[in-house]
Amino acid sequence: MSHLNAVTFVIVVASFLTVTIVGFASARWRPAEDPMHLNEWGLGGRGFGTFVSWFLLGGDIYTAYTFIAVPALVYAGGAAGFYALSYTIMVFPIVFIFAPRLWSVARARGYVSPGEFVRGRHGSQGLGLAVAATGILATMPYIALQLVGIESVLTVVGIGSNTGNALVRDLPLIIAFAVVAAYTYLAGLRAPALIAFVKDILIYLTVIVAIAYIPGRLGGWGHIFSVSSAHLKTVNPATGKPFGSIVVLPAGEWAYASLALGSALALFVYPHAVTGVFAARRRDVIRRNAAMLPAYSLVLGLIALFGYMARAVPAVNADVKADGGNPQLSVPLLFAHMFPSWFAGVGDAAIVIGALVPAAVMSIAAANLFTRTIYRELISPYATPAQETRVARLASLVMKVGALGFALELNKTFSINLQLLGGIWILQTFPAVVVSLYTRWFHRYALIAGWAAGMTYGTVQAYRTSGGGQAHFGASAAPVFGHVTYIAIAALIVNLVVTAALTPLFRTIGLQDGYDETRPADYTADPVTVPAAAPRPKAPAM
Amino acid sequence: MARRAPSGKSPATWGTVTLLMAVAIIGTLWVPVYARSLPKLSDFPFFYWYQLIWVPLTAVICWVCYLLLRTKPTRGARK
Repeated sequence: MSHLNAVTFVIVVASFLTVTIVGFASARWRPAEDPMHLNEWGLGGRGFGTFVSWFLLGGDIYTAYTFIAVPALVYAGGAAGFYALSYTIMVFPIVFIFAPRLWSVARARGYVSPGEFVRGRHGSQGLGLAVAATGILATMPYIALQLVGIESVLTVVGIGSNTGNALVRDLPLIIAFAVVAAYTYLAGLRAPALIAFVKDILIYLTVIVAIAYIPGRLGGWGHIFSVSSAHLKTVNPATGKPFGSIVVLPAGEWAYASLALGSALALFVYPHAVTGVFAARRRDVIRRNAAMLPAYSLVLGLIALFGYMARAVPAVNADVKADGGNPQLSVPLLFAHMFPSWFAGVGDAAIVIGALVPAAVMSIAAANLFTRTIYRELISPYATPAQETRVARLASLVMKVGALGFALELNKTFSINLQLLGGIWILQTFPAVVVSLYTRWFHRYALIAGWAAGMTYGTVQAYRTSGGGQAHFGASAAPVFGHVTYIAIAALIVNLVVTAALTPLFRTIGLQDGYDETRPADYTADPVTVPAAAPRPKAPAM
Repeated sequence: MARRAPSGKSPATWGTVTLLMAVAIIGTLWVPVYARSLPKLSDFPFFYWYQLIWVPLTAVICWVCYLLLRTKPTRGARK
């Protein structure tokens, strides 16, 4: 893998150049009367119908995590990694239930980020800030994970690896990211929305060809499963236990279910997923998409199986070992060894572009959060829409530089674990964001206390968990009352218990509730027209 | 101005939707049901094909719920 495969490389570069042109051209797609408004830059005009939303949401929530991290888990540990399929199955009923309410209230009130909703609902600047800061914090390592995905493709293609010089090694990644940052800055959400089309064509093409072609070459699914099963039964010298199992064992069932549920609950409170929802034109677009997005889950399930295919190719195993046992290389290596060079290039391009689209949406989402919840609340309360848009553009650049720092400074395993930590953190905003869609029973200060308790508990637990050769932040599941559980779920329970216990206490001692600027009808509103601008709340926010 | 969607669906409709959604979530949440390798479907262990089949099932459930909750465009609404 140290040598450069010219054909594969040319295909990857050509695909990258194509999406670069699409990215810059997208600024002229569905042109807006006033492009310097956050509804335009940050939400693509809030006018995406079912078709575009399907591509955008699919392109946004199926990331390098799907294409690199999940098959790597399956390659290394077998069935345990399949929780990701279960997670992407149950996420859509969950989205179906609450996302339309969130969309309606955001549309009715002109919100562009979840932080604003929480601030408006509870009249609490502090709570809005907590939600915004958590969103930005959790998104940064998630973007870094996208870069790690791109890096593993570059390593297998033969550039960016095996060089002592750090700058030369990372240069391709830095250039690619600078280009993405440039067109995101210019075109906002329109760029990833349009590029998502290219991404999906490449992904679906790669997956269909791989599923139709590779198992035949490897002697059928029976052989693939039996080779993987035999490997998973062997004992891992590092832990003294088997590597994994082909079917989840009773001891792992609780972890499997809690990882799936925790990830599913967390996904649509992530800012980038919320941004994708807010960009929809009508309320029904979200429900229709909940029924149509599972097509991507099928793709995720099949890509997860790539992990087993890779295990059945001896050359892949040898190359993974040669690179220090990094399982994240298994999918690009599978392409390199099973496909002709040109089609390996198509598959690699699919992964690279598949990582660029969510990275762009994530930086936009974090920029929206920063602008509306931090900049407008704390720095410049009377900013004009044009000023807001300028700030958001700059914030998106800062997010990208920060994520690049994460990806370059930290080793690869660590950034995957930080992404899992991101899941723990973001889930702590669930009571403030999702429960508040239905009830204001929780007191605003109780929500802040619950959030703080959940964040602290989750971070400490994750810090104390060793795994993968690391003393800290080694895994995302830890024993709770004898069951190995996803820490995010345990922390959410701590969060909810604290919030529920303190709410009556705070009411009893007479702490004031905040002013709720939303109205019951807002939660079922289905406005045809886009609100011109978000009005400032009349009552001073606390 | 903002047009409000009528939220007046019968409790029976909401009950059906809630039940269907619960089924769709519990289908793969209850791991002991499918943490087994038999029966196989061609070469696929039960664990894998059971979950893969839930993908289209969830899609159908969501679509049915969408149809149940869909509100007809109110009078005068334009596309």
